[in-house]
Amino acid sequence: MVKFLKIFSVSAREGTVTRKYPFESPLVTPEFRGRIDIDPVKCVGCGACTRICPTKTLTLSYEGDEAVLKYFIGRCIFCGMCAYVCPQNAITITKDFELASYNLSDLYDEVVHRTVRCSICGKPFTTAKLVREVETRINGGDVEELLNICPECRRRLTVRRIGSRVVGTGGE
Amino acid sequence: MSRGFSHVEDLKGVPRGPRSDAVLSRVLSACGDSILNVSRRGTTIRVALKAECFRKAVESIYSEHDLYFRTMAASDERLKDGVYKLYYVLGIDGEGTNVVLEVPAPEGVEISTVSDLFRASDWYELEAKDLFGINFSGRSLRRLVLPEDWPENLYPLRKDISADEIKSLYQPQMISQIAELGVEEVVRVPIGPYHPALHEPEYFELYVRGEKVVDARYVGFMVHRGIEKLAESMKYDQVPFLAERICGICGFVHSTSYVQAVEEALGIEVPERAQFVRSIVLEVERLHSHLLWIGVALHLLGYDTGFMHAWRIREKIMVLAELLTGSRKTYGINLVGGVKKDVNQDKVPKVREVLEQLKKEFSEFVGIAISVPQVMARLRGTGLLPRGEARAYALVGPTVRGSGLARDVRKDYTYAAYHYVSFKVPVYSEGDNLARTLVRVDEVFESISIIEQLLDMLPGGSVMAEGWETQPMKLGIGAVEAPRGEVIHVVVTGDYSPYRWRVRAPTYQNLQAVPTMLRGVDLADAPLTIASIDPCFSCTDRALIINLRSGSVKAVPIEVISRRGVRSG
Repeated sequence: MVKFLKIFSVSAREGTVTRKYPFESPLVTPEFRGRIDIDPVKCVGCGACTRICPTKTLTLSYEGDEAVLKYFIGRCIFCGMCAYVCPQNAITITKDFELASYNLSDLYDEVVHRTVRCSICGKPFTTAKLVREVETRINGGDVEELLNICPECRRRLTVRRIGSRVVGTGGE
Repeated sequence: MSRGFSHVEDLKGVPRGPRSDAVLSRVLSACGDSILNVSRRGTTIRVALKAECFRKAVESIYSEHDLYFRTMAASDERLKDGVYKLYYVLGIDGEGTNVVLEVPAPEGVEISTVSDLFRASDWYELEAKDLFGINFSGRSLRRLVLPEDWPENLYPLRKDISADEIKSLYQPQMISQIAELGVEEVVRVPIGPYHPALHEPEYFELYVRGEKVVDARYVGFMVHRGIEKLAESMKYDQVPFLAERICGICGFVHSTSYVQAVEEALGIEVPERAQFVRSIVLEVERLHSHLLWIGVALHLLGYDTGFMHAWRIREKIMVLAELLTGSRKTYGINLVGGVKKDVNQDKVPKVREVLEQLKKEFSEFVGIAISVPQVMARLRGTGLLPRGEARAYALVGPTVRGSGLARDVRKDYTYAAYHYVSFKVPVYSEGDNLARTLVRVDEVFESISIIEQLLDMLPGGSVMAEGWETQPMKLGIGAVEAPRGEVIHVVVTGDYSPYRWRVRAPTYQNLQAVPTMLRGVDLADAPLTIASIDPCFSCTDRALIINLRSGSVKAVPIEVISRRGVRSG
């Protein structure tokens, strides 16, 4: 009849289960996903992470001769998709979750890349590191000359070449 | 079927059950030439029929005892076929098949209501009217999803209106009212209409005579934010993270439903190991959700000691979830084609250890909590939901299983790795709050056993399918047994994003029966009765009490009603 009094013995056995955080260490498992860390050396600025990011936390913008990969922690949902898709393994997921700050700029992280200009039209179109990365991956070949041409000019060039092949007149 | 429908040919050679055959032939003979097409893929029979015959088709089958209304998705397919389409998904429990009635609705044509036949379809029709402007004849239409100050003839889910246009066309009236007062530099502080300290914005109006509830009305959709529209602009692999945020307690069931719907639509083979991981995580989620609910229920009864202990036990599951997935909640491991995080072999002993401990602590705790005389007295015989009503409203989850129906998606429409394990579906026939509580208590033990069995059998191999391609305009249905009942997502695929994504959470189905459960209960038992369906708002919110005798209206926090009743509340 007084079975419910047994709760006292359970309480006595379990004691205090909460921790005195922040004076004691927080309860975080080794698998915890916190903020991400972008390695500026490994990152080539391809933008794969910005295209998969569900919340548009990561953005890549071209500002003059610089391409800026921005990470805004305020929007991050810590899903880790960026690290999952990064072809260079430049993104690591840290266990850092103590992100509150009085300063908004603390919530931003940036990786700045130098861009290359198109050898035909002169517009900046991609990062220098990405061009170099592609160069090593394709390892020479006859497309190497196209590397420094922006996609738009490349399309025009290809059409012109096919045209000249069909019509049979040389030159452009 | 003998009448020579040429388009029925493709059904030959596909395994079918007698029940779906019977249902199909009834529809075919009721509609005859109005049938546009019949096709079958996997466990889904899709019957396209003309709108004028739709009601006749439903009349011919609605009384089938094992057929129930699962969901309805409206879709704007004017760009492709020139019409809106309604997909009515009807399930045959015993056989695990879906019959999808596909009804084309040309602009301006009224569709006959079936809300008198399938009572559960009431909200679905109102929602199709609100979001697509599809009209239904033979019933009264009122606003359900959209706010009262929403402009007429602005239908947000139509394809010819973008999210930005909607934002420019709709400004909540409050803003203009404040502007009229001449207040400059208005700062918007979104509080309410409900108390910010209580959990989610749902609203009940209880009509009482003395201490007895006579009737109840529910107003919802306060936080309808148009995520279905948002998903239409997101990539396939981004949507799971959005889906997971539909529910703060059982998010993983939503991402699983979504990926299953896409996988079914596109015919993607998911590796077995990924299916196992999904099932394990789904059951971990059920464990924490049921423990959460038991705690909240005890809290509503004023037994806060029980609440604290239930959540103490639950905390171990939360840590376990983080160990398995990387996060306590919103696990974020589901992708179309598999999962992105494996269960490593070295974690298995730890999982077993936690489950073993949970089993011991939980059975000890439940024994104690149930023996508290007040707890028992308030659970037994309150919030009655008869079996017939439960069937008529097509209810799902522990709510329906507490009323004597053994409906469980894991058994009926098996998915992920559930066909590898053996488990019981706990059913109680009393239909009161106690029955619904006991269903959940039993399910905790079943879930523990399911996870243990899955760990024993965990196959090797990859956890992600080898790449897949999209095809536009394919229909997929994904259903998962969430802790609160069946979650069902309908996806119509597009080129890069879902063309249409229809989410139906279990509470959508179950809430419609709450007024039935409330009628005749003591006011003090109303909060627990509302909570007994485990609505997606854990603690509901404050209620408005209208006293029919004195005509007085007052709003009080729900916890106060629960403890003291209306007189001192």
